[in-house]
Amino acid sequence: MIVALACCRAVSAAGAPSQAASDKRATRNVTDETGRRVAIPFSVRHVVTLAPNLTETIYALGLEDKLAGDTSFCDTPPAAKLKPHVGSPQTPSLEAIVALHPDLVLATTSINRAETVDALARLGIAVYTSDPHTVRGMLDSVAGMADLMGASEQGAALVAQLQARLDAVHARIAELPLVHVLFVVWEDPLITIGQNTFIADALRWAGAESAIVAQQNWPQVSIEEVVRLQPEYIVLTSDHSESDAASKPSELENLRTRPAWKALKAVEMGHVVVASDEIDRPSPGLIGAIEQLARELHPEAFALNADGRNLVGAARVQLEMVASACTKKECVSCAL
Amino acid sequence: MRPLTPRRILWTCAGLFGVLFVMVVISLRMGAYPISVRDIVDTLYKAAMGRREEVPVEFWQVVFGLRLPRIALGILVGASLSTAGAGFQALLRNPLADPYVLGVSSGAALGAIISLIVAPHVVGAIQIAAFIGAASTITGVYFLGRRGGQLDSPTLLLAGIVAASFLSAIIMFLLTMVTGSELRSIAFWLMGDLTAPPPTTNVLGWLGFLFFVFIVAAGAMYTTSSDLNLILTGEQEARHLGVNVNRVKFVVYIAASVLTGLAVSVSGAIGYVGLLVPHVMRMFFGTDYRLLIPTAAIGGAIAIVLADTLARTVVAPTELPVGAMTALAGAPVFIYLMRRRMR
Repeated sequence: MIVALACCRAVSAAGAPSQAASDKRATRNVTDETGRRVAIPFSVRHVVTLAPNLTETIYALGLEDKLAGDTSFCDTPPAAKLKPHVGSPQTPSLEAIVALHPDLVLATTSINRAETVDALARLGIAVYTSDPHTVRGMLDSVAGMADLMGASEQGAALVAQLQARLDAVHARIAELPLVHVLFVVWEDPLITIGQNTFIADALRWAGAESAIVAQQNWPQVSIEEVVRLQPEYIVLTSDHSESDAASKPSELENLRTRPAWKALKAVEMGHVVVASDEIDRPSPGLIGAIEQLARELHPEAFALNADGRNLVGAARVQLEMVASACTKKECVSCAL
Repeated sequence: MRPLTPRRILWTCAGLFGVLFVMVVISLRMGAYPISVRDIVDTLYKAAMGRREEVPVEFWQVVFGLRLPRIALGILVGASLSTAGAGFQALLRNPLADPYVLGVSSGAALGAIISLIVAPHVVGAIQIAAFIGAASTITGVYFLGRRGGQLDSPTLLLAGIVAASFLSAIIMFLLTMVTGSELRSIAFWLMGDLTAPPPTTNVLGWLGFLFFVFIVAAGAMYTTSSDLNLILTGEQEARHLGVNVNRVKFVVYIAASVLTGLAVSVSGAIGYVGLLVPHVMRMFFGTDYRLLIPTAAIGGAIAIVLADTLARTVVAPTELPVGAMTALAGAPVFIYLMRRRMR
C-alpha cells in the first residue's frame, strides 16, 4: 500500500467509483468496448489476461513483464505457458485472479462470459473487455489496450506496422475477384462462420468470401448446402499437434475418403487450404494468418514480383472497363 | 423403531447442522487463494466489530466477495432442491420424482434463454425471466394435471413429463438462434452454476429475500408432513382418517414448485441433489416426513456446499460447474447406498 501511495499521482480523475475506495491510487475513467465504465489506474503494473488473443497482444506490445497471469489456454508465444494460470477463459477462478493482485484484468467477448466480468467488477477489480468484430477493430483494440497500459507509442508502432502489412497484401489482391470459400470451424457437425465474425472480415482481407451467408456467428450447415454452393476452396484450421506443411496433404486425403466431401469440386481439385490457427484469434498474429491465406488463395498475385505490378496494373484497367459497363449490384468487382 | 419425538427431531437436526458448519468452515478455507483459518477468523471477527479498514483488501474480497456469498447461495439452493424433491416424491408417490420432473427447470431455462435473446445485457433479467418461466410452467402443469377437478398424481406426472419435453424442444430450437457469448452463458446455466453474480449490489438483502421465500415455502410444506405420512400409505386410507388430501396436495405442489423455481432461477438446473438427498436421508433417518423434510433441507445444503467446494478445487484454478460435480459424484454415491441397503 505504501508503494501504491508513492506511485500515486497528484492528479485524481473525477468520480472514481466507490468499489475502488480501498484502492488509494489515482484512476481514470474509460469506457470499454462493451460500453462499460471502468476506473483504471494511471500506472498499470499487474495485468491478468483472460484469453489467448489478449495474452498474445501483451507479448506483441513487449509488455510481458507486466503480465501477472493468463489462462491455461494461452500458448502463444510459448513463454506465455510459464505465466501463472487462473484457469480456463470460460471458468477462471476469481480467487486465483485476486491472488495475483491485478490492477487491470483484460477480457474479451469472443470467449469470456459476461458473468465473469460482472463478478470481477463487483469485487472492485478493473476489467476492460474488448469486443473486436473486424480486423481493423482488432487493431483498434490493440491500440486501446496499449494506451491503458501506458504504452501508447508501442501500440501505435505495432498497429502501424500491422496495417502496413495488411496494405501490402491488399495492394496485391485488391483488384482480384474474391474467392468463394467454405471456412470450416468444425467438421462434424459442420460448423462455419457467419457474416459478423472477425474471421469473415479476415477472409475478405485475404481476398476471400464465405460461400455461406448467415447472421448467426457460428452456424451449423448441412453438407448438402455446401454441395449446392460448390465453394472454390475449403479452408480448414490447423491443429497445434501437426505442422502446417504436413497437415495439408493428410487433411486433403481425409476429405477425399468422406462420401459427401469427396464429390466437392474443391476437394477433387485439391483446393484445400489449411490456415494457421491464428486465424481464430483476434490478435496481432491474425495478420500473419491473413498473409498466409492470401498467398495460398491467390498464388498468382504473389508469384510475380517486379512484373506482377504490371500485371495487376493491366488487370485494374480491364476491371475498370468492366465496372463502367456493369450495373449489377452483386457484381464483386463493382463493389470494390 | 424409536418413536419420533420433537426432541429427537431437534437433536438430529442439530447434529446435521454441526456437519453443515464443519463443511462451511472447510469450504471457506479451501480455494485458489491461499488463506489460513486464522486469517479467516480474524477477517470475520473484524468485520463483526465493524473494523473493515483493518482487513487486507484481498482477504475481504475473497471471504466476503467470493466464498461466503457462494456458500450461502449453495446452502439455499441445496436446501430448496432437496426439500422440493422430498415433496414431489411424496406427492407423485414415485421414488424417481425430482424437482425437475414436472418441467419446472425446462420452463425456467426457456425463460432464461428468451431473456438472453431479448435483453442480453440487462442485469438480473435472467433470474427474473427464469422465475417467470418456472411459475408459468407450474401453473400450466397444475391445470393439465387435474382430473375431475382434483390433482391426480399419475396425470400430473404425465403432464409434467410432456411439458418438460415440449419446452426442451423449444429450447433446442431457440439455441440455434443465439450467438456465441449468449450461448456460453446459457450452457453454463443449463449445467447449473453458482458463480453468476446476484442481480443487485445489495448481496445481503438479496440472500435475505431468498432465504425468506425458502422459509415460507418449506414451512408450508412442513405443516403437511403428518398428513403426507398418511397419504403415503394410500390416498383412500388417508381420506378415511380425515385428511383433506386435495388441500395437502395443493400445498405440497405449490411449495415444492416455488422452491424449485427459486433454486433454478438463481443457479440454473443443478441435477441429482433433489433426487438423491431425500433418499439418502430416508436411509439414515427413516421415512417419516416430520423428520425427512428438515433433514433433507440440511442434507441438501451439505451436499451442495461439498460439491461446490470440490468443483472449485479438483481442477483448480479452473472451476467446474457445480451441476457437473453433483452429477459426477451423485450417481456412484446413490448406487453404493442403494446396494448397501439391499444387503
